[in-house]
Amino acid sequence: MPGPLAGYRVVEIAEGVAGPHTTRSLADAGADVVKIEPPHGDRSRGWAPSIGGDDGDDSPLFREMNRNKRGIVLDWRSGEDVETARRLLAQTDVAVVDKFGLPAELRWEALHSPGLIYCAISGFGPKGPWADRPASEIGTQMASEATSSLGSIGEPPVRHGSDIGSVFAANNAIQAICAALYARDDSDPANPTGGQRVEVSLFGSLIAMRSTLWVALSNPDEWWGFHLDSYVKPPDHGYQCRDLPIYFSLARIRGEFFDSMIDELGMEWARDHPDYDKLRTDGAGGAGRYAAELKPLWERGFANHDAERVIEIVEHHGGWAFPMHDYERLCQDPQVEAVGAVIDVEQGDGTVMQQIAPPWDFEGTPVSMTMRPAPGLGQHQDEVLAELAARS
Amino acid sequence: MPGPLEGVRVFDLTLWMVGPWASTQLGALGADVIHIEQPSIDPRTLGAGVPPTIDGTSIGYMTWNQNKRGLFLDLKSAADRQTAYELLQTCDVFLINMRPGAAERMGVGYEQVKAVNPDIIYTAITGWGEVGPMRDKPGADVQAQYFTGFWSVSGAEGGRPEVYRHMAQIDATTGNVAAQAVLMGLLARKRTGKGQRIHVGMLRASMALQSGRISEYLSTGDLHQPQGSAAYAAAPDQAFQCQWGDWIGVSVSSEDEWQRFAAVMRKSEAEAEGINDLAADPRWRTNRERVNRRKELAALLQAGFLQRPRHYWMLRLSAAGIPCGYPIPFETLQHHAQSIENQYLREVETSGWGPVWTGGAPWELSRTPSRWFGACLPGEHTGEILDELAARRSVVDEPTPVIGD
Repeated sequence: MPGPLAGYRVVEIAEGVAGPHTTRSLADAGADVVKIEPPHGDRSRGWAPSIGGDDGDDSPLFREMNRNKRGIVLDWRSGEDVETARRLLAQTDVAVVDKFGLPAELRWEALHSPGLIYCAISGFGPKGPWADRPASEIGTQMASEATSSLGSIGEPPVRHGSDIGSVFAANNAIQAICAALYARDDSDPANPTGGQRVEVSLFGSLIAMRSTLWVALSNPDEWWGFHLDSYVKPPDHGYQCRDLPIYFSLARIRGEFFDSMIDELGMEWARDHPDYDKLRTDGAGGAGRYAAELKPLWERGFANHDAERVIEIVEHHGGWAFPMHDYERLCQDPQVEAVGAVIDVEQGDGTVMQQIAPPWDFEGTPVSMTMRPAPGLGQHQDEVLAELAARS
Repeated sequence: MPGPLEGVRVFDLTLWMVGPWASTQLGALGADVIHIEQPSIDPRTLGAGVPPTIDGTSIGYMTWNQNKRGLFLDLKSAADRQTAYELLQTCDVFLINMRPGAAERMGVGYEQVKAVNPDIIYTAITGWGEVGPMRDKPGADVQAQYFTGFWSVSGAEGGRPEVYRHMAQIDATTGNVAAQAVLMGLLARKRTGKGQRIHVGMLRASMALQSGRISEYLSTGDLHQPQGSAAYAAAPDQAFQCQWGDWIGVSVSSEDEWQRFAAVMRKSEAEAEGINDLAADPRWRTNRERVNRRKELAALLQAGFLQRPRHYWMLRLSAAGIPCGYPIPFETLQHHAQSIENQYLREVETSGWGPVWTGGAPWELSRTPSRWFGACLPGEHTGEILDELAARRSVVDEPTPVIGD
């Protein structure tokens, strides 16, 4: 296998997003990943929607998060299966586990494997009163107050619809695993030493990603800026043009260009508006100090043009503006095509699924963009167990 | 015990957030990160001048330059450029986030740096990629959120999608992905003995962050519509209001959890139609059936949740192993045992601005623990770093390379 992590072996005992995303990235980067599932399979196989088809009833998310892995099934009610998992873990470089019902024999303390990097992903972290609480997106997004940058005060909470807590935790887990592998002593390749346990949580990762907020809240000179007023601003839907919403900034526009931009937008009426100086000087967009109060003025002007035309006018005068894509427009955008962000992955039944490319380009150890599909339930049982027997 | 990257040195030619956040991670993992600023820097422009400030300096600079040493270098000056090359000979990693072509103009393109140090892990971070019609456009969190649909999957039930108002999540994600790439490059070098050039862009980092949701769209052609606190993939998985008006987030994402959740609701003896008999009700047989009738199920459960206080539900659901949580504001979070004991939030000393609160290291490593210390002043360690180079010069008999433009 090509890729920067070629030669490393990984065993995953995890479900959903956080653990599987972690090992999917390691697999994309060239590691040999074996996924252990319970007899009824990873829960995310049954998430909505279903891809249907002859090749099973998985969710697209499951197929995305588990490509390039081999899959086996083990049942923790069977002592023999627990022992098989223990032997697999003893012979691997990296284990990634979440804490749902893991047998005591498979915990770090019980393994005594000197070279193993054992990464445990939890909801709230290894210490503290909530250490044993199970993980979920909404629970950790709320507890880390990540939901306070969405919705309105006094209204029902709004979550971020991407699984940000889980993916942030996965991104951190990948870093910590790679750092721990780097620190390991591989001078005897058959018997590496210096392994360790690594702990990552959704809660801790969500907090780390909002570090600017905590610094801002320490003792700010002035109480403004999106780090502080993200709590109290109303929901922000962008700037609606005739057809679609956009976002823009005027930070780089000089005065005379601003006036000519206003004219070209057909907003001459704004020149006599009492807020015209604010329009000229404020940053616009979410970063602007008066953005919320000025937005109706901009939208009154933009309503006469399609988004593409507004972007053209703003950029022509030295500002920047961007379309607000939904996933449909995103996936059709020429830039997305140019960077190869959407890839084809042939599935076991010969159909092709579109998935998302890994985010790194390694010029010396390139990642193969020919991906293997996510395993069927227990698809590689015989192959993986035969390899284990051969190594033992 | 030193951190896992003890002995790794990073030449950190980064600015604004994405690059500096990547090297903040590497510094926390024990690398000696040398953050370069131009000596002519106007302090008001540090951290892109992102408001608010503390004692006049942007909190952006203060957050994104933790765990580093500061060095002034003017790469337009021939003398400083030679110092940069000499320093690069001692470095393992080169990190830059500038538009394509900027590094070459400053004399630190990959070919130029490789000539000085062929083993270097050279990592370039861009906004939109190194190819394509948008390669020269500026890229920061806000633009990336809008362009990549990060805004399109959140919002009040039945309302329009809305932007995530804390505009740092895609910046930070790209920084994390860049740190991953550096680490993978170091691991590949451990095996092959060779350095290489790596590229990471915000566009693909943001799409990888959203790969689950985007793959759902790509499979079905259906765009996600805002649905408040409710998950798209599982049900019930959302916030419910409890007896005293406060909210609890509850997630049931497997059939096993559904059975346990149904048992908790039955034992609660809340008086709401159907609440005592969830497990046997054919409407809720599988997750996909529950997702298809999500609103109907949520209305039924909401009536039940309103009849007991949140503390009741937290106790009962936690005991049954059902994931749950509730909103905690910053003033509570900063003293909460869960954030303090894991050092997820901590107060650190800074060189110029007194103590500040910050997020801490999001990992715990049992053998080679990470570290966390406050931001340096720009150029704070210039004398110290130049002295180290001078000391090295006196023992290493190796001419400093001279690289033309």
